[in-house]
Amino acid sequence: MRIVIAEDSVLLLDGLTRLLQTEGHDVVGHRTAEDMVAALTAPDASLPDLLVTDVRMPPSHTDEGLRAAVHLRSLYPDLPVLVLSQYVEQRYAAELFAHGSRAVGYVLKDRVADVEEFLDAVARVAGGGTVLDPEVVSQVLARTRHELDDLTPREREVLALMAEGLSNAAIADRLVVGPAAVEKHVTNILTKLGLPVDADTHRRVLAVLRWLDRNGEAR
Amino acid sequence: MTSTRSVPRETAPAVTSLPGLLRAPWAGATWRGLAQLALGYLWLVTVGLVVFDLVLVAASLVPALGLGLLVLPATLWLARWFAAAERARLAAQTGIAIQDPGRRRPARPGWWGRTTAELTDRRGWLATAYAVAGLVVVTTFLSLAVVAAGSAVAAVILGVHSVVTQPADLSWLLAVPVAVVLAWLAAVLAQVGTLVTASLAQAMLGVSPASAARAAQHAAEAEARAAETAATSARQRAVELTETRAAALEAADAERRRIERDLHDGAQQRLVALGVALGTARRAAETDPAAAVTAVEHAHTEVKETLAELRDLVRGIHPAVLADRGLDDALSALAARSPVPVRVDAGPDLGRAGSGVQAAAYFVVAEALTNVARHARATRAHVRAAVVPDPEGPARLLVEVSDDGAGGAEARPGSGLAGLRGRVAALDGTFDLTSPPGAGTRLRVELPCAS
Repeated sequence: MRIVIAEDSVLLLDGLTRLLQTEGHDVVGHRTAEDMVAALTAPDASLPDLLVTDVRMPPSHTDEGLRAAVHLRSLYPDLPVLVLSQYVEQRYAAELFAHGSRAVGYVLKDRVADVEEFLDAVARVAGGGTVLDPEVVSQVLARTRHELDDLTPREREVLALMAEGLSNAAIADRLVVGPAAVEKHVTNILTKLGLPVDADTHRRVLAVLRWLDRNGEAR
Repeated sequence: MTSTRSVPRETAPAVTSLPGLLRAPWAGATWRGLAQLALGYLWLVTVGLVVFDLVLVAASLVPALGLGLLVLPATLWLARWFAAAERARLAAQTGIAIQDPGRRRPARPGWWGRTTAELTDRRGWLATAYAVAGLVVVTTFLSLAVVAAGSAVAAVILGVHSVVTQPADLSWLLAVPVAVVLAWLAAVLAQVGTLVTASLAQAMLGVSPASAARAAQHAAEAEARAAETAATSARQRAVELTETRAAALEAADAERRRIERDLHDGAQQRLVALGVALGTARRAAETDPAAAVTAVEHAHTEVKETLAELRDLVRGIHPAVLADRGLDDALSALAARSPVPVRVDAGPDLGRAGSGVQAAAYFVVAEALTNVARHARATRAHVRAAVVPDPEGPARLLVEVSDDGAGGAEARPGSGLAGLRGRVAALDGTFDLTSPPGAGTRLRVELPCAS
């Protein structure tokens, strides 16, 4: 598929390009968020299948990449976007997910070093799924821990994976249990937290995040 | 100067207390007073009168074609000399110190200015008048005292004579109280005469109450001005310290941001890229061993470059050579790394400067040499470091970096030079950048050694 990458570090851009090319993708790299936005908003621009962008980029080295991603999402709501962040910033995640969580990913840049995980995230976001970094999820969960006292440890584990954007099958795979067991856990969790039971992964993520966010704010 | 309250008590105890009155005839003050009156009489009747006459004659010559104007200043000067002598005499004989009133300063330079100053100085005229007034006082009291004393002696002689020649006549009994009263009267006159002389001299030869008050006011004003100056400089210092403290915080903050940026853009990115390269190699290991080897070689190069970058970064935070070997060697190391040839002149005792000061000096030179290499297009540079004594405070560490390049350097806000200036200001140092276009750059920084 066609992937556009915005990354100011030449080395990393180089490494990612090489990696994705060996996986058989067609890769276009940009050094700044501005270049990327310019390329994608040009009159004759054709949208890629996935956009991968760093958060912090020139000229101000703050959150250009994120703002560009949010801007592009508002222009093309279906454009899959995977944001790589140097730090876990819940605020960044909230801004990014504000326009819906379908085909959105927010992961720590360090995850890229784990090539399989990165390629998995690329595939999931490009396929319309949601990917949220475990670090962000655990931060949110830590913030709202006492609200989750009713959940069993296993259920909490499942909730974290749900929030990361995994499907029931992927959760079963990760926890090495059967799909039926996962389904039972998920139903229990959603019932205990008073959330609508939904099989759609990204809507599930959205509900979980909204719940966590609301309860986090209430503290 | 004896305090005003004790002058009458010491000079004329007979009029200030009953014991003083009872002891009057044999009190030291009486004999001192008598001696003063006697010598004063001789002095005033000779020198005093001569001075008075000279002034009088000169003054009376003024209407006669202004001849007097030529000599009057000289005679008035003589009168003031006479006043000084009289003050000295009184101080020696009575212990009463009378303050010199000083002289009027000419309002304009030149002969005429001096003459007018002399003529309009009231003190000269008062001294002239004192010659007569003092003489009158001294003569009066001296003669009265002498007459009283002489009469007392006469009464005693008459009494004794009467006892011897006419024992039956009891009139000698009257002579005893008369002699006693006259003796006491003589003593009191001697004391009071001296007191009056001294008071007169104080009034006519001393500082006038008005000018004493003026002097006191001037002193008070000067003191107030000094206090205000001190307060102003303290306020300025406070403002300066507030500013430099803010600059120091800003410099430290900028430094932290720079380190964070360096780590983010450098080592962290490299390590992520390294992870990607190694991950790629592992994935390729089974299917494409040759590609895997290339990726591993790439990763290896990456590791070495990351290490070099970390080394540079650490040196930027605090150079190890500075802590281990001191500023002298650290500066030589900087010079050795510079692409532009650098001559280093390091003075002895650089170690006397505190470690914070040495570090600041090091970074001044490092930044300056970086700028020389990047912008100056210089053929050579010169680094000078020395500890120079400062007579007004602790010794100062002087660092100077100069080059023969293009000049035109500026400490723009946010630049490395501006950061250094903040760092130098925080250490109470001075930062002087001279960089005229086309004529080289000279950066001179001075820092107090103790910090």
